[in-house]
Amino acid sequence: MKNKNNALSVFLRPIWSENPINIQMLGICSALAVTVQLKTALVMALSMTFVVSCSSFMISLLRKQIPKNIRIIVELSIISTFVILTDEFLRAYFYDISKQLSVFVGLIITNCIVMGRAESFALSNPPHLSFIDGVGNGFGYGSVLLAVAFIRELLGSGKCFGMQVVPDYFYSMGYENAGFMLLAPAAFIIIGLLVWLQKSLTKDRDLSR
Amino acid sequence: MSDRIKSIVFAFALCIVCSVLLTTASTMLQPSQAKNIQTDRKKNILMAISLIDANRKYTAAEIDRLYKENIYKYFVDQNGTIIDQTATRDMAKDELLPIYLAMDKNNKIRSYIIPVESRGLWGKIYGYLALQNDGTTIAGFTVYKHSETPGLGGEIETRWFQKNFVGKKIVSQNNNFVSISIAKGRASDIVPSEKLPNYVDGISGATLTGQYLTKGLQKILSEYEPASVRFRQNVIQCRMQTELPWCDNEKQK
Repeated sequence: MKNKNNALSVFLRPIWSENPINIQMLGICSALAVTVQLKTALVMALSMTFVVSCSSFMISLLRKQIPKNIRIIVELSIISTFVILTDEFLRAYFYDISKQLSVFVGLIITNCIVMGRAESFALSNPPHLSFIDGVGNGFGYGSVLLAVAFIRELLGSGKCFGMQVVPDYFYSMGYENAGFMLLAPAAFIIIGLLVWLQKSLTKDRDLSR
Repeated sequence: MSDRIKSIVFAFALCIVCSVLLTTASTMLQPSQAKNIQTDRKKNILMAISLIDANRKYTAAEIDRLYKENIYKYFVDQNGTIIDQTATRDMAKDELLPIYLAMDKNNKIRSYIIPVESRGLWGKIYGYLALQNDGTTIAGFTVYKHSETPGLGGEIETRWFQKNFVGKKIVSQNNNFVSISIAKGRASDIVPSEKLPNYVDGISGATLTGQYLTKGLQKILSEYEPASVRFRQNVIQCRMQTELPWCDNEKQK
């Protein structure tokens, strides 16, 4: 935790010990919205990784020039420019993907993780580290998203990446999909359980600190 | 330079850079975005009449070719008369409804496709509803744009939901217009068997989306009802693959 900012630890920290969702409790709203299916969760994780790493890189490049008193607005403009560029680009060249993403691309702007990384990391670290930190946060966010989406899609619709995995004879024996898993509160509960799991796994280390 | 002036200058410069970037990107990408939207709509029209396979990938050129060979855009007026685009010039636009005619090789209308625009739970639902040339049987239904909840109302864009429409009727057993409704749950569980042809299975967890779509389809189908009546009477005849395509609305009986 206290070791210096070498590239590897900058990359690994947000994936486990400082995971944006499980530990920092950021980006929960989008995690509720996109985790009904694995496919949307994966695309969201990838676009999020792209936006957070690129915007952290840009903000870090400009960190010595950005005036302190308007820095939040400056960060927001840079982030939203990247989000809109991504959206336009997807709509021009990957129309099918952009159709699936629909509102989620816009959700990236409101994602606290992007702002959080800009504020707490990119403003005080060199560009290459900020970029790696962005990628790490994207992966940390994405891994939780995929875990939640896997559970919700499996229990909610008996599928995995849109493929039926619960066999038909289960249904004929009276098994039913848990419709509750498709609703947002289910994601809350699953995220809560994941937080509990991670906290109990890392308990010893926290106590010794 | 004082801090305040520096902030203003920086903000101004940032605004200019960002807006130039966004404007450039938007103008440069506009043509291919517009083309994608066009292709996507054509694809949905072709999908509504099952001319293309939903599981296969098609290039934009393939879709353009299929569309050009099979689909003709016309208009219907309030009496259900099918009118050529060139004849619509001196008519009030709001009295005309677009209609797409799908022709077979013998110059007969296979089916007609009507654009669907309905209210949804979170926003509008856009799609196409194709009816066979008997004016009563649904040939297919597709959705190309919506903002429903993914996994719930968003399932309206999936094949399993859309497949349920195929073969359903928009008229009752006595041949009265009743439109098509989305049941709350599995249609066969809650709808009496004589009404089953007018109901499709609903999506669990998306009752409201189903209700709005039912209302939207009813409104649209009743607007096109005069044209559907003519199809039921089998009085429309068209010749499309000739040099001068035309439609005759009053075939001699």
